[in-house]
Amino acid sequence: MTILADENNKNIIELKNVTKRFGKLAVLDKVSVSFEKGKTTVIIGPSGCGKTVLIKHIIVLLRPSEGEVYFHNQRIDSLDEKKLSKVRTQMGFLFQMGALFDSMTVEENIIFPLQQHSKIKDREQLNKIAKEKLALVGLDGYQEYYPAKLSGGQKKRVALARAIALEPEVILYDEPTTGLDPIRSDIINELIMKLQKELGVTSIVVTHDMKSASKIADRIIMLHKGRIEADGDAAAIQSSPSEVVQRFIKGEISEGDIQSMQVSFEDIKTNDKK
Amino acid sequence: MADTQQKITMIEQFGASVLRGVNNSGRFARFQFDSIIQSVAACFTPRTYSLIWNQMLAIGVRSVPVVAITGAFVGMVLAIQAYDQLAGLGIEEHLGVLINLSVVKELGPVLAAVMLAGRVGGALTAELGTMNVTEQIMAVRSMGTDPIRYLVAPRLIACLLLTPILIIYADFLGMIGGYLISVPYMGINGRAYWNFSASGVELWDITIGIAKGFFFGAAIAGVSCYKGFHCREGAEGVGQACTEGFVGSFIIILGIDFVLVVIFKAIYASIWPLKLLL
Repeated sequence: MTILADENNKNIIELKNVTKRFGKLAVLDKVSVSFEKGKTTVIIGPSGCGKTVLIKHIIVLLRPSEGEVYFHNQRIDSLDEKKLSKVRTQMGFLFQMGALFDSMTVEENIIFPLQQHSKIKDREQLNKIAKEKLALVGLDGYQEYYPAKLSGGQKKRVALARAIALEPEVILYDEPTTGLDPIRSDIINELIMKLQKELGVTSIVVTHDMKSASKIADRIIMLHKGRIEADGDAAAIQSSPSEVVQRFIKGEISEGDIQSMQVSFEDIKTNDKK
Repeated sequence: MADTQQKITMIEQFGASVLRGVNNSGRFARFQFDSIIQSVAACFTPRTYSLIWNQMLAIGVRSVPVVAITGAFVGMVLAIQAYDQLAGLGIEEHLGVLINLSVVKELGPVLAAVMLAGRVGGALTAELGTMNVTEQIMAVRSMGTDPIRYLVAPRLIACLLLTPILIIYADFLGMIGGYLISVPYMGINGRAYWNFSASGVELWDITIGIAKGFFFGAAIAGVSCYKGFHCREGAEGVGQACTEGFVGSFIIILGIDFVLVVIFKAIYASIWPLKLLL
């Protein structure tokens, strides 16, 4: 019994049999997974496998068609938006493209969640917090910039600063390194590790960047066609017997994919001749 | 066999479009219901006042020139169009009644609202639509803030409060436009022009014109924000949402106008005998 309670305390987030359907298409198919407190879990998988949909279920931006989502052992997928808002302030979400408010400056973006939820009203104090958060992501001095003036990597870092403004327990990263060059990607990787170390946050990262995954992950979960294909630490994933996992790690496409492309080229040639 | 197949597809398609229609109406009604609730809540939350002020500047103050120009041209065109007919009957001095009554009761409010549907509604849909496709609306939600409360309520309140005031501008400039063409240009006696106007245009006429503004403002904000929140992805999606938002609010404005005219007429008819007694 105590072991079970310990087990429950270790897990901060739990998904039970989560299925998500858009129309007839099941993007997630009975996914059950729990995330350990203070650890970095990376969810990998090819584009369109349901990674982003999965991570959006954790913060209930999407609600499951079937199944349950728990946060600190409290069921959250059935809460109304008002009650969810409290849960959401305990999580930070880094969107794929940053999703910074482009009508606001960097500073205003970062203090937005504070203005909405904290009791701090003094603007100077808010600015001080914004400065601290920006310093954490290495962008202090950019307060007055508008998002349109920032590069892709800088946008993500500002978005990260905004996501940690309320000092959440969990940070969810949706493809944090996609679209960045290798150096910028590594800056983001270092930041993810730094935040986990210094703030002790639980991180859940969705990515298809294997290099990034093996660098930051305590645990890697591979998602394929809406189901969990593999689950384990980086070494376990590397040595996984599953063909799908191996192909994904090595970045190779399957014979079937190659054939389907050849067929279509042949078709064009024969059609031209006709 | 093929014939039956075709019939089934036709029935299926019809059914699917009916379902889609019902779904969309439900979504629209829920969105409007939430917007109203959140707007009422926002009125009692001092924190949102600054957001409302900002929207009032963008929606109201910056629309004054276009609305004023619309009103002025309506008045001037009416004067030129109607002059010949009235002059033919020798009653050109009644021109004031015709122009001012048309402007304050009908043309001022409706054309100002149509202008606002284009200027304000278009901007609202484009802004919210872009926020939607770049996940900014979802970001607001992810940070535990209700996007309807934060984004829609201030815009709805600003539209609701300022459309009637903008209509007053349109009415005023319409009257001046009509006067400038009728009196200095057509040479009608100024005193007679205003006397006939004053006897023909009642406070009631002006009031119903302005009262329409509340409904038009709500329609513009309601439709435009809904379209912005539910637009499809990409530049094309935002563009299409803007078009649908404008056409939708235009049609709703005309529809509301018709309904209101009927209602106001009935109210007027029922209080008219009382007025005679007084």
